[in-house]
Amino acid sequence: MPALSVTGLTKNFGTFAVLDNLNLQIEKGSIHGLVGLNGSGKTTTIECILGLQTYNSGNITALGQSPKQLHLTKGKLVAIFDSPSLHPNLTVRQCLQHALLLCEKPARSAWEIEKKLGVSRFSDFKIKNLSLGNKRRVSIAQALLGDPEIVVLDEPFNGLDAEGVDDVLELISTLNRDHGTTFLLSSHQLPYLEQICSHIAILHHGKITHSDTISNLLGNTQTTLQIKTPQIEAASKVLENTLGVELLNIDADGYLNISISDSDSIAINKTLVENQIPIAELILKRASLAGLFREITSEEAK
Amino acid sequence: MNGLLVAIKSEIFVALRTFASKLIVTAPALVAATQLMLVKLTEAGQQTRDSILGGGSFEQSVANNAYGFFVDGLITGLTMLGLLLVAQGAYSFSYDRDVGSIRHLLIRRVSRSSVLTAKLIHLHLLALLSVLLLLTTSYLLSGMLWEYGAIVEDGFELISEQEIREEIGLGLRLALVPLPAAIALGLLISVSTQSATQAVTTALGITLAIDIFKGLLGDMANYLYASFQPSLIDQSYLQSVSRIVRGYSDVLIDDSVLQLNMWVPFPALILFFAAGLWIVQRRKI
Repeated sequence: MPALSVTGLTKNFGTFAVLDNLNLQIEKGSIHGLVGLNGSGKTTTIECILGLQTYNSGNITALGQSPKQLHLTKGKLVAIFDSPSLHPNLTVRQCLQHALLLCEKPARSAWEIEKKLGVSRFSDFKIKNLSLGNKRRVSIAQALLGDPEIVVLDEPFNGLDAEGVDDVLELISTLNRDHGTTFLLSSHQLPYLEQICSHIAILHHGKITHSDTISNLLGNTQTTLQIKTPQIEAASKVLENTLGVELLNIDADGYLNISISDSDSIAINKTLVENQIPIAELILKRASLAGLFREITSEEAK
Repeated sequence: MNGLLVAIKSEIFVALRTFASKLIVTAPALVAATQLMLVKLTEAGQQTRDSILGGGSFEQSVANNAYGFFVDGLITGLTMLGLLLVAQGAYSFSYDRDVGSIRHLLIRRVSRSSVLTAKLIHLHLLALLSVLLLLTTSYLLSGMLWEYGAIVEDGFELISEQEIREEIGLGLRLALVPLPAAIALGLLISVSTQSATQAVTTALGITLAIDIFKGLLGDMANYLYASFQPSLIDQSYLQSVSRIVRGYSDVLIDDSVLQLNMWVPFPALILFFAAGLWIVQRRKI
């Protein structure tokens, strides 16, 4: 049984269908990224899953509970939102103590989690006096005080500095590895998602257009080598005749784009040098989530 | 039930650490105390003038009975408390929704209906504490500044202290009965509006509008919970008690009005709270 299952979810705002028969299955122990353009319905999907919004049709279960009954999971599902969602007039420590009230079995102390997320020096500061990044750290800290089975994060990297992002990525990774915690992350920060997620779901026009493991999704995309040389036609001929590589195009910036697997780049470089073709630039553009996402959304737009 | 307890604990945790709840508990007593001291200061000035010019009458000695000032303090404090409770009721849910903190409660441990019920209970606790503090402050301060006693005219006891206390007790009970309905009205507005600012302004606006309209409704106003609450346009029995304990009036409350005072606010509470529960189940949070 999946940890979280969404089938046929439809949500209309008036006559506009934000979510149109959306299906999403999240397996236990996975880190599932949810990506989509602005306004694609990521936050609406999350709010429907969390029971914060009603929906027109469909079926949602998280840990066997419907969205309206999520509280019966007794803190096994927690969420971290785009906005920090904290009492502005409480101090950091008070916020964490308040969150402890909501944990049936606290897994870690407020002090421990403050230290882990680097907010212990602000523990007596009121939330309203913290920077956005630190508010987000506290928000994450209070969500992780218990021992959640599913953590839903909506834009968790917004406002975080590089160190904060690293802390969050490490925490997600540790909780997933050591405790088997399932994560659903919605974010525009595709490189971070690519780094941490086991699965990705792409939400476009209210539907999940692609949902698979990262390796399967990226396995279907190509790695490109960009070559800049003053002898572009000679280079094309040499590579076609000698290595039989697939020449994609010559782009507007004068780069010769070649589709290759990673291991071919050495052979291409060597062949060009041996044929005395000067190389100004050699850029390996690996298949990436960002590339795949752009490809999918631009294709869909066409 | 477990969820409701968690929600109540959560409410109390936040209340103990924030300003709004402390304001509700202390402000009515402080305002009543300030009023009593100002009255005493004015009265002292008046007495000085009278003693210079020669005077001192029966009316003055009756009017100086501490019970009258005690009731005045209660009226002022309860008027303020009514406004504060409706405003805080309106603010409580909508503010938690604005800052997003309510989402954590709903997702982790508590149903929507439990959150609203916890807020209703919490506001009742605040009201109870506020009334106790108001009673204590007004009673002690009135006793310090004036003297408690029976109403006596020409050696005859018109109203005994026991009777005065009974009237005050009745007036206070009748003035407290509408407060839960005021709280529930605040909560209903809180779950119906889009923001905390909108909720508070709407709640105070509606309260003032009811206050104005009850004067125009005649006897029909007796079917309005707010008619029995000390307010800016005060028609509550406590207002009559203030005159009774000064010996100015012996008009007691009409039986039918007494019944309406006892029973009209309760259905209003149920109606407002049920409507609040219905709305909170259906709206986006």
